[in-house]
Amino acid sequence: MMEFSFWDIVRNLLMAMRWTIGLSMIAFIGGGLVGLLLVLLRQSKSAFMNLLATTYVQIFQGIPLLVQLFLAYYGLGLFGINASPWVAASIGLTLYTSAFLCEIWRGCIASIPKGQWEASASLALSFYEQMRYIIFPQAMKIAVAPTVGFLVQVIKGTALASVIGFMELTKVSKTIANATFNPFLVFSCVALMYFLLCYPVSLYAKHLERKMHVHR
Amino acid sequence: MSIVEIVGLRKSFGTNDVLKGIDLQVKKGEVIAIIGKSGSGKSTLLRCINGLEAFHSGNLNVDGKPLIHDSVTAMRELRQHVGMVFQSFNLFPHLSVGKNIMLAPSLVKHKNAAANEAQARKLLDRVGLSEKFNAYSEQLSGGQQQRVAIARALAMEPAVLLCDEITSALDPELVGEVLRVVESLADEGMTLIMVTHEMNFARKVADRVIFMHQGLVHEIGEPAELFANPKTPELQQFLGALHS
Repeated sequence: MMEFSFWDIVRNLLMAMRWTIGLSMIAFIGGGLVGLLLVLLRQSKSAFMNLLATTYVQIFQGIPLLVQLFLAYYGLGLFGINASPWVAASIGLTLYTSAFLCEIWRGCIASIPKGQWEASASLALSFYEQMRYIIFPQAMKIAVAPTVGFLVQVIKGTALASVIGFMELTKVSKTIANATFNPFLVFSCVALMYFLLCYPVSLYAKHLERKMHVHR
Repeated sequence: MSIVEIVGLRKSFGTNDVLKGIDLQVKKGEVIAIIGKSGSGKSTLLRCINGLEAFHSGNLNVDGKPLIHDSVTAMRELRQHVGMVFQSFNLFPHLSVGKNIMLAPSLVKHKNAAANEAQARKLLDRVGLSEKFNAYSEQLSGGQQQRVAIARALAMEPAVLLCDEITSALDPELVGEVLRVVESLADEGMTLIMVTHEMNFARKVADRVIFMHQGLVHEIGEPAELFANPKTPELQQFLGALHS
């Protein structure tokens, strides 16, 4: 039987961590883009567009991420698309992230005082101009801290992609734990790695939050 | 010639009738003060004139053009003729004072940058804040913010300026500086329609005073006459309550 040194374990876990980071970034960028589209739909005056976005958010906030990942993985298979774990995990996490980001951002936009809308409307600005020059710049400032904070949830959420066979940190650690017969050591290392990944991000979110409060 | 013509204007919030048929003609260069108890519909009337509130029936013309609330282009056109100053200033906090003033002329009127800045500086000078071009609203007092808001509205060169209780949110010692600016506008012939609680100011500056009561124009007249000889018991009571 092959012997695993501690360094072997750590090295393999670090390699796997790259996929966790990669998947987090895909989820965050994809989710951010879709979330932005959703939040625009939520602001539109069309009742249909509004309902569409609301329904989307309700659905994907109301289904566990784990189940969404299963659905993405096996669902694509049903349509004859042979989805790789990469594609399925990216789609599942993007759906999940976009729904939450939409809600976070919608809340930030709603927190801009009504007077800002009225003053800009009185100056004959169009809806697009109001959004672009008055509402978004102010909402974005408020949104930075909770958005970065949510990134932590996304990073931890990628662990669930292990169930559809995606070889990220959690999946690799299970394999290593089985091979080394030392699950506690392996999962302790994994826990530490997730923590080292998430802690700076949440510290940064706190820092941003504090900075915002001083400024306003 | 009337610059604002209002005929049979009605509006309700749910089952609550706020405006029950307002008729009003405002001539060019006229200064109108609207007074009345809270809930009498005076702010709602003002907000109908630039389309911040939609009305249910009646007609409203500004500069000869009808207000069509559902038409985006018509509203954009109308709002270039009607400026508004709010009780709560509503400056854009993320933009400097100068940019607050220059934003709408550049976006809506496509004014060129140099002319726009020159105009903004001139307007700031006019409201006595020429040194605040690069300041942000959080660095200004309430009175200064309100004067910037007036400059911002004037930058669109409106034909009518609506003032919605513009001194009500100010500390007493800051009211004077804002009213002086408004008075100078009146002297220069700007058409002003203002909702106000400053009776002395209304008496001094307004050409006509409108007393609103329960969604109707209850009494209308020149300030000297209206304040000295209120005809209706409601106005007598309203003015009496102010003095006691």
